[in-house]
Order: sequence, then structure tokens, then C-alpha cells
Amino acid sequence: MGRVKIARKSTFIDMTAMSDVTVLLLTFFMLTSTFLSKEPTTVITPASVSTEKVQETNVVQVLVSPKGQIWLTMNNDTSAQWSNTKMRVELLDKVTEIYNESHKKNPVSFNAQQKQAFSKLGAFGVPLSQMGEFLSLADEPEGLTKMDQWLGGEDPNPNHKTGIPIAVENSEDNLNEFQMWIKAARQTENANLAQAMKEGAGVAIKADQNTSFEIIHMVMDNLQTIKQNKFTLLTALKAGDE
Amino acid sequence: MQIRVDFTPMVDMNMLLITFFMLCTTMIKSQTLTIALPTNEKVQNEENMSQASANDAITIIIDAKKKAGPTPGTLMVDSVNGNVVNEIYYYDGKPGGDEGIFGPGGVVISANNNLKKSELLSDEVNSVGDHKARGIRDIIQNRNKEVLEKINALKKDLNDGKFGSLETKDGREEAMAKYNEAASKVRKDENIKKPVIIIKSTPEASYRGLVDILDEMQINSISKYQIDNITDADLVMLDDYRKHHNE
Repeated sequence: MGRVKIARKSTFIDMTAMSDVTVLLLTFFMLTSTFLSKEPTTVITPASVSTEKVQETNVVQVLVSPKGQIWLTMNNDTSAQWSNTKMRVELLDKVTEIYNESHKKNPVSFNAQQKQAFSKLGAFGVPLSQMGEFLSLADEPEGLTKMDQWLGGEDPNPNHKTGIPIAVENSEDNLNEFQMWIKAARQTENANLAQAMKEGAGVAIKADQNTSFEIIHMVMDNLQTIKQNKFTLLTALKAGDE
Repeated sequence: MQIRVDFTPMVDMNMLLITFFMLCTTMIKSQTLTIALPTNEKVQNEENMSQASANDAITIIIDAKKKAGPTPGTLMVDSVNGNVVNEIYYYDGKPGGDEGIFGPGGVVISANNNLKKSELLSDEVNSVGDHKARGIRDIIQNRNKEVLEKINALKKDLNDGKFGSLETKDGREEAMAKYNEAASKVRKDENIKKPVIIIKSTPEASYRGLVDILDEMQINSISKYQIDNITDADLVMLDDYRKHHNE
């Protein structure tokens, strides 16, 4: 009886092919990814059957927390002429101008460093009277963390308010700060943004599905007052219906 | 001599990187709903106001369901997903019909209350696979029958290839464009009888309810709808309805 011979095989597996595949996948993800931008509050947008895609450039996004706080994000053109950095500085200048017209007693002003800090922000939303202090944080050590805390409403100092003031003042002459920001955004040099806002695609409201109608209504009312009658609501795709 | 490089650690590292990128990206873009509101300014000239005829108007009221029991006023929350539960009410024409909900001296006349309760339900699928509308969708579809019949005929034409071949991508896009044009023509046709829907919401109702109703407008090809402020008459009718239905 002959013994069955088992050939001794090496367990070494050639991983080169596997490595090729993973590198390809990695390249794909790196190229297609758009990073989630950091937001002061997390919201779950309601589901809708609408399949219209959201505009990524030339849009002012209004983020509404369930408690009724408002933050804004401004995304400009991809062209260098109307780049985000440049337009942000202009937006701040414009809003300062509008604000100082109605607050002659205690006007606000920003220095070059503060403007620089503002142009780098993602979402913003601090009362203008505290904006200077907020922007100065950027130069401090761990300033960015402090700014995030402030925006997220977790600042230990109770005087640091987050959210753009939006109390209803239904007159064209007496604007609240939210209306000032939207007006300022319409007045910036970026003609594409102004056009998009006119058509309605340039203003997007992002709110949580459980936000009460009272708050949504307040935001809509504010927009209506400054004749921003067209806007869009951000929704998530509803699966399986229609 | 053979040189073999062990790629296993390389693969490990790549996998980690892939995982990182997969978790950090947003693949699905958000969708948007475009809405246009009328201007807030007071209309000086009454003639310029567009009046919906009472026969065509349906008012939908969204309200949040409240908990019964010892703590009145707290909102009912879905036990599964934690969302606020909305209720849908509707009435035809004017609040309280032609006679109005308020009698002489502001007394509420319950007999005139024409508010009805509905539900936000999507289609029911029977055993054959046919969809049947339920709840508020059924009511809207009944009122918008003429438009929907024409739209459905157009949809059938599209699927039969009457707007052009659906085989190629370019052909499909062209056919869709033609279909959309025809459909929007039908929706805006003044000769077809169609309802005007007024959407109102109580302050407590959630934003989701509003988007759900706006969705129904889109699903049922409603061309004329608006979001309006809730009036005293509406609130009185809601209260009156609840009182008589023990809710």
C-alpha cells in the first residue's frame, strides 16, 4: 500500500491583485466624495417624492433648528471671480452697512482679521453685536473649537447667543438681522447668486421634520416680508411611493 | 532568486482608508421642493385679488395629534420613530358652508360645521397589484379627476412610445421633455375643472405634515394650491369637531 503523498504548498497568497482593486476603489471614493460640512445642529429633513436635485453652488441655505434658531450658509460660484472667500467678505461688508443704518447708536465694524475669519466659516449665525467677539476667537489657541461650541449653543458663557435674531418685524423699514443677511446676499456682486435667489432656487430652507409649523411659518413670513417669495425646501428622497 | 513583496499590510491600510472615505461622504444629494408664496403686502385693489370660487376650493388643515389624559396639550409622538403625529382635516368651500360657522352674536353653530377628518395614507395595493388611493389622496383625486385622466392617458402614451423611442438615453430624455410639456399644458388648461387647494396648518403641527401635503399636490397634479394662515373660523371648527367627536 502506497502512502498518499500530499504536496506541501505555501500558504502565501499573492495580494498584489487585491491591492490593485482596493487602490482603485480608494481612488473612486476620493474623487467622488464631497465632505459633509459641519453644521451647528443636526436635522433630519422630511421625505418627499420630489426628485429635483439641490443646487450646490449659488445658494444660501437657511438651517433651522427645532428650537427656532437660524444659521446661514452661503455657497458661491466655483469661478474665482465670485469665489466663496471673496463674496463672504463682501456679504459681511454689506450686512454691516445695512445694520448700521438702523443701529446708528451702536454701529458694528470688523477689522481685516475678523473678515478673514468670517470668510473661512461654514455655517454662521451669531447676533451681529456679538459677531466681532466671535470672529476674534479664530486667532486664539483652540479658537475653532470654541467657535464650534458657541455656534452649537454649548458655550459656557450664557451671554454668547447662537442663531441669527429672527423676531417678526413685519415692515420693510425695520428689518431683523435674518432679513438683513438675506438682503445683503442678494446685493453681493455675484450676479449668478442674485439670479438664483430671484428664481427661488437660491434660497433653501433646511429644517428638521419635527420642527413645529410655527417656526417654519416664521421663517417663511420673514422671507415674504423682504419679497423673497420663492424658495426651496430641502427634503430627502422618499422610497417606494409613486 | 525570486523577490516577493507581501502586499497584505498594504491591503489592510487601503481598506481602512476606503472605510474612512465611505463613512465621510454623502452619496445621496438632497432633494428640493420649490414653493412660491404670494406677496405679504396688503392688496389695495380688491379687484386684483384672485378669488377662488367656493365650489372649487378645498381647505386642508394639518394639526398635531395631542395626547389624551392627564397632561392635555402635549403632543402625541410615534412610538416607533419618535415623530410628531399629524392629523389631516379638510372642508369644501367656505368655513361653515354658505351660512358660515358663526351665528348672530358670534355663537358657534355646530350644525354648520363642514369640517371632516381624513388621513394621510398612501395607496393601498390589492391582491391583483392595483393601487387604490386612500384618505386625503382619494379626496383630492376625486376632485381632480378630469386632469388626472388626461395625465394618465399621457403617461400611457409615454410608456407606449408615442412620444418617441424609450430605447436610447437621448430618446428617453426627449420623450420625457415632450411628455412634461404636454402634462404641464393639461395642468394649466383653464377649460378643465380643477380644484384650488388651500393648505393651512396649526402652529403645533410638524413641518413634515406640510411637506407631506405638498407632496400630495405633486402626486395628484394639482396646479393651484397655496399655503395660507390659519383663521379663527378654522380653529373654532377644529375645536367644535373635537368636542362632538369626543377627541
